[in-house]
Amino acid sequence: MVTSDYSMGEYNVIPVFGLLIGIAAGLFLEPTVPVYLQPYLPIAVVAALDALFGGLRALLDGMFDDKVFLVSFLSNVVVAALIVFLGDQLGVGTQLSTGVVVVLGIRIFSNAAAIRRHLFKA
Amino acid sequence: MMPDADPAQPRPARAVDASMTLLNEVMHRPLDPGYAAAAGRRARGEEAPRAAVTIVVLLVVAIVLGFGTARAAIELRKPQPGVVAARTLLQDEITSTRAEVATLTAQNAALGTSIDTLRDSALEFVDPELVRTVALDGFTNGTVAAKGPGITVTVADGADAATDPAAFVQDSDLQSVVNALWSAGAEAIAINGQRLTATTSIRSAGSAILVDLVGVAGPYEVVAIGNRNDLETGLARSSAAQQLSALGSQYGIKTSVATHEDLLVPAGPTRVLFSAQPLGTDNGDK
Repeated sequence: MVTSDYSMGEYNVIPVFGLLIGIAAGLFLEPTVPVYLQPYLPIAVVAALDALFGGLRALLDGMFDDKVFLVSFLSNVVVAALIVFLGDQLGVGTQLSTGVVVVLGIRIFSNAAAIRRHLFKA
Repeated sequence: MMPDADPAQPRPARAVDASMTLLNEVMHRPLDPGYAAAAGRRARGEEAPRAAVTIVVLLVVAIVLGFGTARAAIELRKPQPGVVAARTLLQDEITSTRAEVATLTAQNAALGTSIDTLRDSALEFVDPELVRTVALDGFTNGTVAAKGPGITVTVADGADAATDPAAFVQDSDLQSVVNALWSAGAEAIAINGQRLTATTSIRSAGSAILVDLVGVAGPYEVVAIGNRNDLETGLARSSAAQQLSALGSQYGIKTSVATHEDLLVPAGPTRVLFSAQPLGTDNGDK
């Protein structure tokens, strides 16, 4: 499994490069975020963290796939924003946000634990 | 295991915790199943090498996602500009309005003093008796500053007032102290520099105590002018003393009483009457 994973190495670098370029651009260009997107930012960032931890764990599990990573990243962010939007429309925005944060938090926690087991063998 | 008729296709036993599928899914399978599926495809050699277009699309998506996430994180970390601006505006407004209030209050006091002086000088030759009556009335009303011997009662919030709202001094505590001092023969009383006149109220608004509609903060110093012995014994025998000692033991509200040779209580505001008219002199209200 591991060997087959590293044979795909040249592709796996793409999302990492892309993300780094994007982060650098975001840090240096400093464009303003439109006001109507502001309510979705916290949940979107938590969803992005979940995707990042998932990707890191998959990498250590030897199952990393750039396409799956990017698609899950994008869908995580979009779905999280959509849930907040829907919650706001239904008047349960805060509660839904809390639910999303709890679920994503548990996932981040479990993935972080798996990463720790990989890195420290403990 | 459930008995099954067809051993070739055993029906999977219903899990004991089937009703908790959602929680189990979250807890035990935090990794996206897509990773395993993709790894399986790769292992079986089913996946064709990525086309150049796919790689470019992936790269663009990655850049956009990194950019968006970085922007969102930066945006969340910086203080909300709208809130800060509104807060600064309100702060400035409060400060400037406070200064204006102080100026107007000082102006009012100066004008009141000049009115008194002019009135006295005008009446001096016409009716010297009336000047004395006016001065005495003003003193009794609390609209003239007074000095003399007396006692100060200092009441301070409890030590854990920050966590326990009950450890704050309440308006009723100050009211009972003031009432006890009046009944003990106090002739003039001021709380934190606010003179108590005939129309002064002591009440709370939210967590603040207002004396004559001016907010005062702890420690509250009640200055009472009068016979020191009478005031001290009167206060000690009053129900206010019991209340204060109960507050001290229960909430840590500290009270201290001190006698002074020479105390000063400032003048209170003169209430201007707009609607009330004095009764006619023929009605004999003199």
